[in-house]
Amino acid sequence: MATMTSKERVKKFLKREPVDTMPIFSGMGMVTIQAINKMGIRFAEVHGSEDYLARSATISSDLYGFDSVVVPYDMCTVPEAMGRGCSLYAEADGVLYPTVPSKWEDLAAVDISSDYATKARMPTVEAALKKLISEGKYAVGAWVLGPFTMGGQVIELDLLLKGIKKDKEGVEAFMAKMTDVVIDVAKRYQALGADYMTIREMGSGTDLLSPRMWKQLIQPYLQKIFASLESPKILHICGGTDLIVEMMNDCGADALSFDQKNNLAETRRKIGNDVLLLGNFDPYGTLCQKDASEVEGVIKNCIYAGVDAVWPGCDIWPEVKPENVEAWVRTVKKFGRQPTPAVGRL
Amino acid sequence: MPSEERRAEILKNLSDGVVEYEEDRVKEWSNIAVDEGLDAYDAIMNGLAAGMEIVGDLYDRQEYFVPEILMCADALYAGLDILKPHMKMGSVTDVKGQVVIGTVQGDVHDIGKNLIKMMFDVGGFTVHDLGRDVPLEKFAEEQLRTDAEIVALSAMMTTTMMGMKKVIAMIKEKNPNVAIMLGGAPVTRDVANLFGADGYAESAGNAVQEAIKMIGQLRKLKEGGLSAG
Repeated sequence: MATMTSKERVKKFLKREPVDTMPIFSGMGMVTIQAINKMGIRFAEVHGSEDYLARSATISSDLYGFDSVVVPYDMCTVPEAMGRGCSLYAEADGVLYPTVPSKWEDLAAVDISSDYATKARMPTVEAALKKLISEGKYAVGAWVLGPFTMGGQVIELDLLLKGIKKDKEGVEAFMAKMTDVVIDVAKRYQALGADYMTIREMGSGTDLLSPRMWKQLIQPYLQKIFASLESPKILHICGGTDLIVEMMNDCGADALSFDQKNNLAETRRKIGNDVLLLGNFDPYGTLCQKDASEVEGVIKNCIYAGVDAVWPGCDIWPEVKPENVEAWVRTVKKFGRQPTPAVGRL
Repeated sequence: MPSEERRAEILKNLSDGVVEYEEDRVKEWSNIAVDEGLDAYDAIMNGLAAGMEIVGDLYDRQEYFVPEILMCADALYAGLDILKPHMKMGSVTDVKGQVVIGTVQGDVHDIGKNLIKMMFDVGGFTVHDLGRDVPLEKFAEEQLRTDAEIVALSAMMTTTMMGMKKVIAMIKEKNPNVAIMLGGAPVTRDVANLFGADGYAESAGNAVQEAIKMIGQLRKLKEGGLSAG
């Protein structure tokens, strides 16, 4: 029988204190279409309302037994506040996540107003976080894109990538600006009382950048970010990460999160048992496509690979099959009672 | 016309210029190729495109990553801009066909799509680029407007990839004789077959061969008076 509340479980887990069982949580979006449907709204409507954001997160966790709630769901809130706009796809069929329609033309054009954090949907997101924090039912996860990924939202990615070689000083100045924004927003969310902070630098994996480039261009800024933040703080990178895990571990985060491309067992061997590792199932494949009978195997593989908590590799795609999510939660409850490499049990 | 030895020197410099992402070198040797009467198609395919094949190998071996690929592409385009206007009209260099290309709605990643577009340009296709985040019905509209033989769809996320199935159905309903090619990180040949596509681009390198094969099949069907649907 569980002896902790969801919030207690996640908070103690992230401090590497013994817990009753593996928490079922994530640092990325966990909203489900079942919650959206229960509220009688469309997915596109959720992003601009503090009430809809908070309720959809809570209802998703109520329905499935998650230990956390995470808002916002889209990656446009900060770029939008910087004046880059937001496409909500209000008329589209099905679920489409908002995207940023307008980017700065070049590095020199980047101009961030000092009051960006009060603009567009930033106050809405903070209000939703405050609501969830005051409800106290679940651990509240906040997140911010890492500086390189944030940069790719507000400027053409190929300019940034080519700029690494062609305009190193310009790129470094740009990354410094993005880093300041990331620290500012993350500190704001932490000051509200978020229980944990995830920095999502998903655009920086070795699908795009060489490990050498990652060390020069990404690591120094992540180190600055994590040095500025309170614990608990988590670094998440999707995509190719096998070649950069040790460098990720040197960034100063309390935990590392990976997606399904990472060889988690190998990562555990490289990094050792004193580091919280989170991951790493394919959320779309596992929760939306596979037969429910296959889900237990996927989740068990994550546990056997050596994660301390099973996290999806990215945002849960909302159009989940209920039976698949139930299988995920059931499997963690059944097989998560044993100690994990970095976290003991009561 | 340059001697065989001089031809080889020109082609090597074009190829190396692409591989080393030296735009100025590629421009210089493209102008030399034009001045000395080297066939422009020869320079493009056996110089620039050959260099890009080497770049693809370097990427597969994880010696080059995306920043290098993009700069090599810039070098290639620098040469293409000089050489393409000098391509002679004739059976080898005739426009191979028309392609409508774009990244599906909800997806704003377009680096891969732009590399595929580049290979179509090099391969002698006329490309109608719809850009990124393209509403699904726009692909069918543009295909009808241009009468393109091929529609090439790109998606970089598993979730936006699902829109491709709808696009294929829309296009085939209006014009079953169009060949549809899919590409992008989450797309596999199995997914392409499942969605009813006619071709699959595993990489920028093989996109053009796949497209030529698809058009060849279409032309045979047209000559035989049969529909592709």
